[in-house]
Amino acid sequence: MSSPRSKLGSLVDAVGLIPDGTRLALGGFAVYQHPMALVRELVRQGRRDLTVVGHVNGNDVDLLAGAGCLRRVESSYVGLEKYGLALNFRRRVEAGELLMVDYPEVASFDRFRASRDGLTFWPCGYLGGTDILTHNAEIRAFDCPITGRRLHAIPPADPDVVVIHAVAADERGNVVVPPRRLLPQSLDITMAGAADTVIVTVESVLSRGDLRRHSRWVEIPSYRVAMVVLAPWGAHPCPVLGRYRGDDAHFREYVAASSTPDGFAGYLRTYVTGPRDHWGYLDLLGAERLTRLQEIGTW
Amino acid sequence: MVTPAPTLSELLAVTLARTFADDEVGFTGLVTGGAAAIYGTAIPLAGMMLAKETHAPGLTILLAGWSHNPDLARLDALPDAEFDETLYDLPCEAQMTGYPYWAVKRGDIDFGFSSAVQVDQVGNINSVCVGDYRRPTVRLVGPILQPEHMAIFGREYVMMPHHERRNFVARVDFVSGVGYPGGLAGRRALGLDGGGPECVVTPRCIFDFDREAGRMRVRSIHPGVTPESLRHATGFDLGDLSRVPVTPPPTPEELDILRQHVDPRRVLLPG
Repeated sequence: MSSPRSKLGSLVDAVGLIPDGTRLALGGFAVYQHPMALVRELVRQGRRDLTVVGHVNGNDVDLLAGAGCLRRVESSYVGLEKYGLALNFRRRVEAGELLMVDYPEVASFDRFRASRDGLTFWPCGYLGGTDILTHNAEIRAFDCPITGRRLHAIPPADPDVVVIHAVAADERGNVVVPPRRLLPQSLDITMAGAADTVIVTVESVLSRGDLRRHSRWVEIPSYRVAMVVLAPWGAHPCPVLGRYRGDDAHFREYVAASSTPDGFAGYLRTYVTGPRDHWGYLDLLGAERLTRLQEIGTW
Repeated sequence: MVTPAPTLSELLAVTLARTFADDEVGFTGLVTGGAAAIYGTAIPLAGMMLAKETHAPGLTILLAGWSHNPDLARLDALPDAEFDETLYDLPCEAQMTGYPYWAVKRGDIDFGFSSAVQVDQVGNINSVCVGDYRRPTVRLVGPILQPEHMAIFGREYVMMPHHERRNFVARVDFVSGVGYPGGLAGRRALGLDGGGPECVVTPRCIFDFDREAGRMRVRSIHPGVTPESLRHATGFDLGDLSRVPVTPPPTPEELDILRQHVDPRRVLLPG
């Protein structure tokens, strides 16, 4: 009897699907649940000229900006919430080295809905008067064919590759998103419907039997997923809801380091290019630090 | 026993509370960091809770876009993250796994609160950049939800933690939320049929708008602030201030409810 192909791969394999110049969408929201292990591997592999298309971004974009991997960002927000401004991003944009394309927040969600729904635009009725229109020729005004109301057509997100970080999947690529979820996790589900190449990094890989017992919580079925990568603590220093909290001390160290280019180069050497891979990163952080971040862990 | 005089935060919370009607829906995010958190989140929450305790028991507080009427009295500290465990585990009436789009997009939200780095005399706000867009002096976080707040919500309270010339400018460097350029007719011509800023709340005064003319005006000046200092701190002409009243103080009853029932442990409004 034949069995279906395993989609398990390594972070190096995953980055192999993301060549220089890729139009990339990263799951998570602000400082929550980004696929940071994958982001660090992009830096290790020296990726260049990436476009990140997102909705609400944070340390994911800031780390890539600081490491020189980005050409363009499309989002409604790049910042670190309670930890402050995204200083690498800020420096690159102010220097004219990184092209920023601003969209409103909900319109940014709708761009992924357009891609997921196979549409060539999403209508938006609230952009009039904003300078978002002044600087973005890809947004086109049109008159509603039903009512004649002036609307704007916003382009779909259309990422080449989507990467999200989830709590679990089986090796076939059935992804569990438990009911304990909030906006960031819900948006990950939308994003995972928006591209032909979807990579999912996971806290744990489930056996076929375990997966079938949790099938009501599978929000992304296997045929949507190109690769599954085991990456425990793979969102660190971001939190994963129900699994672990954000690492406040690490975020503060990150922000302090990113206040100067030299300081940030030191951060990259210590935490990104220094460790040989994600396991080396976890060894560097150590069991005690990681264990102290754990949540109760209820689904 | 002498009741301590109201603090500025209490004065602003009470002033806002009086403007909320029963059965309205009010939306506030969790703004973080010092004065920004107090103006963007704590004062709006205290105002909405005071309104619920008095004339607006049916008011819905929609916090962070997903927690309806959270049990804020149980908090030991103001939450500083919109999507982490603290707020997730705080009891509330209805917890959403995404933004309620009927509210954010269809228009169920009667009022919201915005903060910005710049606001101009027609009420446009900016949280995107200072200086030229392509080579900014300061790149900020981005427009976030401001376009939606200033167009779809019924009315918007612009909460400004700082009131200096660099914040109150003749023209914002980037319009991320639209005020009344060209007045109400100007808004309609832009396709904005409702909404817009109701007032701008600062540490020095409260502005409202002449909507027809599309111009911000000083509605009241806070106790202890002189018209001269207000002019000095504002980068556009404020007109004749001689008949502008002092911001009316809370009644003893409002202050008592605020201190005894809304924020008994001073979690929201510092002393």
